[in-house]
Amino acid sequence: MDESLNPAARRERSRAATGRVTRIVRAVGWISLIAGVLVLGFVFQQLFVTSWLAERNQTALEEDARVYFEDVEVVEIPLSEIEGLSTDEGGDDAAVAPDDMRRLLVEARPDAHQPFAIIRAPGIEALEEGWTVVEGVERADLKNGAGHMPHTPIPGQPGNSVISGHRTTYGAPFGDLDRLEPGDRIEVETALGIHGYEVRETIIVDPFALWVTEPRRGAWLTLTTCHPKFSSRERMVLFAELVDGPNAEVILAS
Amino acid sequence: MSRWFAALPGPTPVKVLVAVVAAVVAVVVLFFVYDWIGTNLLDSGGTFE
Repeated sequence: MDESLNPAARRERSRAATGRVTRIVRAVGWISLIAGVLVLGFVFQQLFVTSWLAERNQTALEEDARVYFEDVEVVEIPLSEIEGLSTDEGGDDAAVAPDDMRRLLVEARPDAHQPFAIIRAPGIEALEEGWTVVEGVERADLKNGAGHMPHTPIPGQPGNSVISGHRTTYGAPFGDLDRLEPGDRIEVETALGIHGYEVRETIIVDPFALWVTEPRRGAWLTLTTCHPKFSSRERMVLFAELVDGPNAEVILAS
Repeated sequence: MSRWFAALPGPTPVKVLVAVVAAVVAVVVLFFVYDWIGTNLLDSGGTFE
């Protein structure tokens, strides 16, 4: 403190210093308040608004899927003509002989963004009533909750059918995927009927592990979602094998 | 806040209209920013890169 100043000057200096502190405290307060509102807004938008939008869309999507079930073309194809099941050479890897007359029910591939299937998993709240699956895994597709990878087979067909879904936002259809254990049942309804799968394995991989989408012998359903919850750092991948449904007998016997 | 409102152009009804439009634009922009952050950091939908 400058002893040379008179009391009035000292009071003025003290008042100025107090004013500066007040302004700083007020600015920090406002910044904290605005930051808090923005963070709360983010949480509210991500957890509630996106889920409300997805669940609202689900009603319309399920209706579209039901109409699609009626309209889609279904054909019977000899098992020997299904790619990946037969080999002309008939070597050790041949699962189906060229003259095999068993036939597989095959539906036409859906157009991009078309709702074409309904997935259910008893015991999983979000999937108990069923969640409509659309063709494609672009951002817009997944905003409806679950999307089918276009280069993989349709559920109920031979190979590895892959469906991706949100874990925490947009209705979180795969939010409780970790609760499914080996032996648990998953159903996928398509135009052909209900395809029943049994969970075989759940693994955690990095987001670049594209090998999980590669073709597999038999008929498999692979569900992928983010892991852990509230992070897209890794992926949870669930493998389930077809056990019953319109094509199960033919595929399992091949 | 009241100082920002007072700084808006025009008479009070115009100020109110400008403030409402600005608030709506801010909410829409925030929605897209939140969506982008959420999709990239929180939950990408489980696909592979």
